[in-house]
Amino acid sequence: MATEPKSTRQRLLRALSTDDRKLGVTLGPSTVWLAMLLLAPLTFMVTVSFLSVDESYNIVWEPTLSNYTSLFEGQGAFWQTSFFESLILSYQIAAVTTVLCLVLAFPLAYLLARRGGRTFKVVIFLVLLPFFTMYLVRAYSWLLMFGPSGVINDTLLTVGVIDQPLTLFNYGKLAIVVGLTHAYFPYMLLSLYASLDGIDFSLVEAARDLGASRTATLRDVILPLTLPGIISGSLFVFVPSLGAFITPRFLGQGKIQMIGQLIEKRINSLYAIDYGSAASMFIVISVVLAFALAFRYVSIEELGGV
Amino acid sequence: MATETAETGTESTTGLHAVLGHERQSALLGYALYGVAGLLLVFLWIPLLVMIFLSFAQNSSTLFPFRGFTLEHYVATLADAGLMGSLAYSVQIATISAVIATTLGVLASFALARYEFPYKELYRTFGILPMVIPGVVLGIALLIFFQTLLGLSTGFWTIVATHSVYGFPFVLLIVTARMYTFDTALEEAARDLGADPLTVFRDVTFPVLAPAIGAGFLFAWIRSFEDFIRAFFVSGIENPLTVSMFAMIKYGTAPKMNAISSLIVLVIAVVLAVAMNVGNVTQYVAGTEESADE
Repeated sequence: MATEPKSTRQRLLRALSTDDRKLGVTLGPSTVWLAMLLLAPLTFMVTVSFLSVDESYNIVWEPTLSNYTSLFEGQGAFWQTSFFESLILSYQIAAVTTVLCLVLAFPLAYLLARRGGRTFKVVIFLVLLPFFTMYLVRAYSWLLMFGPSGVINDTLLTVGVIDQPLTLFNYGKLAIVVGLTHAYFPYMLLSLYASLDGIDFSLVEAARDLGASRTATLRDVILPLTLPGIISGSLFVFVPSLGAFITPRFLGQGKIQMIGQLIEKRINSLYAIDYGSAASMFIVISVVLAFALAFRYVSIEELGGV
Repeated sequence: MATETAETGTESTTGLHAVLGHERQSALLGYALYGVAGLLLVFLWIPLLVMIFLSFAQNSSTLFPFRGFTLEHYVATLADAGLMGSLAYSVQIATISAVIATTLGVLASFALARYEFPYKELYRTFGILPMVIPGVVLGIALLIFFQTLLGLSTGFWTIVATHSVYGFPFVLLIVTARMYTFDTALEEAARDLGADPLTVFRDVTFPVLAPAIGAGFLFAWIRSFEDFIRAFFVSGIENPLTVSMFAMIKYGTAPKMNAISSLIVLVIAVVLAVAMNVGNVTQYVAGTEESADE
């Protein structure tokens, strides 16, 4: 920067001379970028969900609700349609995954917050590495583990624990929940850790000294203080799990269809952007609701745990 | 939940407790805590270790019957021109989009941490949205935006645009966290001593922020490199690495998949180890300013 021509430097300095300009220079580029590549596409998607597409994939600019009604049309009542079943199934899987992540991550986050030094660094490395590893690779590694002749069943058969492959370890709901937990667990861990790390643990000692049981201390002292971490961790696990595609695709092997797969299929095989947009709205609305719910308990600054 | 406060440090031994029983209880809880943590690490690592093992084995899809070690899968992988082309393609995309995300993210962090402006919270919400919104939705929204609304053909630049938006929140979160703890008195001192704003930035602000910026860049880079679903929709006829890998599994050539996946795990392990030791990335990723070496 020191070798830049004087004029550029002066121009830059002038550009930064007032507060308004500082704000323009710092905030302007990202605002334009987000407006162009996030706000505009999402707005367009909402619009398309109320429009239809002709045979040559051109948009017909006439408002209609047909995409939404067609989501719930089919044989039988609306709760028997494949869309509704996928939606409910996705919510169930995402909820179970979130709870599992929370229960599993809490003890580890607690341990990390109480122990510093060498152990901390090694454990964090061991947790972060799978986190940084390709999502696709992690889903694939579970593809190897599950299945009628997958590593788990095959090993149990070879060792002689079982005579026939267990259906439990076939591809299906359990495999998907395990895969999603493996994928999003670190988000929960890091959010909880950020929260637990800020706790003044002398409060815990005080509670114990004053005769509170361990359970009472956990319930009345530790959990309330960790609430922001629990909320933001749950948000970061629940929302992506809800719209997951690769994990249910690999680990459901066609037997399970989550909403993300359903949307993908319609878009990729038919380019049914009207139907796909309308179906996506159910994910978008869920995201908005999840955020709104989270903001009732934590401020947005506290959400930035990851 | 049986695993809770095990190390309350110097607990006063009130006479009510049988001392031995109390300590044993604490010790048991401590072991349970370590046990759960250990099992978790096993859970996180087992599938990856199995995959790495299989990448060196003749039998490439399951452990038994074990037919011996080989490097042929690696040789075949590295000789696969299509796959290596995809790798190079993904590296280019990740690098360009991470540069964009980092530049925009660092600038925006200044605005968020230093200045007041209307709709700040709204801006912040939109800023972290790309990270949270499911990839299927973001991918499709951008696909129909590029293809149907703008009439663009999808390819290299649409993936770069998509990933630059996707990587932005990671930079924003990491850099703003650092900026909130920044002591602005340092900058004032430099200014009082006659430095102009650019000099202050170069000699004072930037060195303090550099590790966080580095961590943000690394995060954005990896998020772009590993992304499948967004790239899948906006890649057109091109094949980034993840899209090639996805196609490989679809047509059932697992041996190369094991090898390329293991190589990725290895490379990322090295990068992460270096970043943690040189840049001390941990504290930015973990969102804490506590020194990891304390």
